Amino acid sequence: MELQHSDVGEVRKVVLAGRLDTAGVDRIETKFGAVIVPAGKNTVVDISEVTFLASMGIRMLIATTRSLSRKGAKLAMFGATPAVKEVIETTALTDIIPLAATENEAIGIVAG
Amino acid sequence: MDLRPEQETGLRSAQVAGGALLLVLNNTLTAVEDGRNEILRHLGPLDPLVRNRLEVLFEELVSNTIRHGFAKHSAQSIHVQVKRTPGAVELTFEDDGVPFNLLEAQPPEPFTSIETARVGGLGIPLIVKMASALRYERPAPTSCTGFRPSNRTIISIAT
Repeated sequence: MELQHSDVGEVRKVVLAGRLDTAGVDRIETKFGAVIVPAGKNTVVDISEVTFLASMGIRMLIATTRSLSRKGAKLAMFGATPAVKEVIETTALTDIIPLAATENEAIGIVAG
Repeated sequence: MDLRPEQETGLRSAQVAGGALLLVLNNTLTAVEDGRNEILRHLGPLDPLVRNRLEVLFEELVSNTIRHGFAKHSAQSIHVQVKRTPGAVELTFEDDGVPFNLLEAQPPEPFTSIETARVGGLGIPLIVKMASALRYERPAPTSCTGFRPSNRTIISIAT
């Protein structure tokens, strides 16, 4: 599991790559929160290189989005593969964390 | 209960009998990866969405059993049988942990806002929704191998 972050204007961009399963979340959860929450910026998360998503990964996304929300900022994901998208839709995660097709669309959601 | 030092290897044994793969998984979360690799090697190429459903179901069921059904560091185990049937892959999980019928688990409240969203408890709903068919049984205590399963969960994934 790998993580990179950068800023696109006022928006923080985080790129995740690998498996968001029990083992992957164990490795990355602390860093994921650390690059997003303290900055308190609207954030987009590129999940196009996430090859697998299980409940532990969804738990991490919800916990971090909630912490960011308490700082008055939003988070949106973009670029899910069909397999990852099926898991996201099965859990109805998009009811609370938007999923966009592209980076620009995700930026539009959090900046809007 | 038989106690042993923390096990690092997830896979206690793997064998093929009558075309079915039989795995015995140890009480450690590395069993998720070790077991998954054996299953994917046994089944060969699968449609990407079918493979993903299989991986999600296996991950959620095994990790849930180890986290919530087993005593920490115990020698408890999960026995998994994997076989192809016409139009499906069928996985039968037996474990000697706390009796738990996931079909009787309370469905979670729907998400309404990020502030009130549940953070955990998503694994069982994923299993229930992603399985093509799901059955739970309380096995009869007939084992002559020393393994006395308290749960049997049978999951079918349409191919």
